Amino acid sequence: MQPPPLPATPVPLSLAAALALVVAETVTLLREKGEPVPEIAPEQVFLDGTFPFDSLDLATLIVTLEQKTGQDPFRSGLRQFRTVGELAALYATPHS
Amino acid sequence: MNPDPDPQAAPAFLAPGFRLFEGGATFLPDALRAAAATLDPVATAWGSAILCPAGASVQRVLAGLLAAERQQLPLLLARGPVPDPASGLSGRLPAAPPPGPGLTVALSTSGTTGPARWIWHDWQRLCGRIRLTPPPACWLLTYEPASFAGLQVILTAALSGAGLVALPPQGPVSALCRILAAAGSSGDTADHPPITHSSGTPSFWRAVLISIPEQYRSGEEVGGLPALRHLTLGGEIADTPTLTRLAAAFPAAKIRHLYASTEAGALFAVSDGRAGFPASWLETGIDEVSLRIRNDILEVRSPRMMTASGECFGSGLNLEAEPSPSGPRLSADGWLITGDQVRQEGDRVLFRGRADSRVNIGGVKVWPEAVEAALLAVPGVAEAWVSVHTSPVTGHLLTAQVVPLPEQEPEALRQALRQALEPLPAAARPRRITVVAALPVTLSGKKQRS
Repeated sequence: MQPPPLPATPVPLSLAAALALVVAETVTLLREKGEPVPEIAPEQVFLDGTFPFDSLDLATLIVTLEQKTGQDPFRSGLRQFRTVGELAALYATPHS
Repeated sequence: MNPDPDPQAAPAFLAPGFRLFEGGATFLPDALRAAAATLDPVATAWGSAILCPAGASVQRVLAGLLAAERQQLPLLLARGPVPDPASGLSGRLPAAPPPGPGLTVALSTSGTTGPARWIWHDWQRLCGRIRLTPPPACWLLTYEPASFAGLQVILTAALSGAGLVALPPQGPVSALCRILAAAGSSGDTADHPPITHSSGTPSFWRAVLISIPEQYRSGEEVGGLPALRHLTLGGEIADTPTLTRLAAAFPAAKIRHLYASTEAGALFAVSDGRAGFPASWLETGIDEVSLRIRNDILEVRSPRMMTASGECFGSGLNLEAEPSPSGPRLSADGWLITGDQVRQEGDRVLFRGRADSRVNIGGVKVWPEAVEAALLAVPGVAEAWVSVHTSPVTGHLLTAQVVPLPEQEPEALRQALRQALEPLPAAARPRRITVVAALPVTLSGKKQRS
């Protein structure tokens, strides 16, 4: 058993850049699941029952985002987000 | 106040008012009894039994219970991530049931560490902790029906004559959103009464908080969640932020979280809105359970733990009654070593995780080494390892990295890896498998690119 790779040094992200990253990683996960990839708008709700995403996919997305951005907005616990845009907003400001 | 179920009785356990709402259909007791009458026993080495195949619906499980009760046979509830229509069993059949009166049920583990294992439960063990919830109670079932936690909810609703709304165990939150959306759009009546009781894992509740739109949590009463009066968390460590947010989202609900150990079963419930349990319980005990901490591990002693023959039954509110491969461990003076790490902080004892490598992913207990072994067994794999991450959504999460043999075609390898993981429970299958050229070195502190 190996520890997971360490994240990159935290990089400040604009909201547009964070949104692009969240969408790109969501698309990658959907492709790996063999799901068709729909148009993903910032208003897209992750777990609303129509989007082919479940809790495990969402958990994996968050791990990937931490590895790519070096940021962990959830280190004090889960924070409220429902949509792609709301999740991206959590990475848009650098955390120390 | 209704009497609690008699643990000695072999009951006609479907009380008249019971209604099951599953897959868009409503099932009344007569329909369930009619379904039960069509079930024939299967033959085992030790006699006949009623069998529910893996992936059985709640309707099917209830029919199985009714058939077993009527024909006075044991009931086998198979589990496993891949339903096997041929045999319905994901492993070998269990050994003979222990002697004793009343209904006995064998629950199967999903076998993350090997072939499926079976644990027998008698009626006393199934119903011993049930408290009736008479109508207008309506339960939301979030657990797999053929699990101990699932049976607790099913039997509570059945014995109480309450309503029971069943969510599919794969993607329960998405299904719940669809149910609520359908209820909202069909006007002021839903197919089922307002949901008043629910039990789920902390991961389920966190996903609910993420997904359930505001209006279903703080507005309409009919068919939605705001009528929730009793909210229970089980199967994973419940953290204080989740408890606080649930209390804010469901202000009318009594919220409690359950602690169960694999071998000792359901031990106690905590209702004060804080994670862990009061440190005072180390002195006083709780609910006939004595608690102590040795080497940072929680040890327990409970009269419910052992049968007369000294055998330990797994009888708790576990989603996976998965005994550790080495079996239950007892201290020299007869206390059960739970394997759960705890730390006392002031007036509180908090759970820190497992002492062994087992992790809990959304309520499913997983040994990462078993997942790693499955990957390593795939031809074309030179090296593989599984990383454990903490997750604010599911508690823990696995990802995997694989080094292929030279000349190995990557897409074919991905296919083979996916197939190798298929028999494992969904939570044990890493969603992200990264094919890498070599092992990243982490011991020297060099930073890695993902």
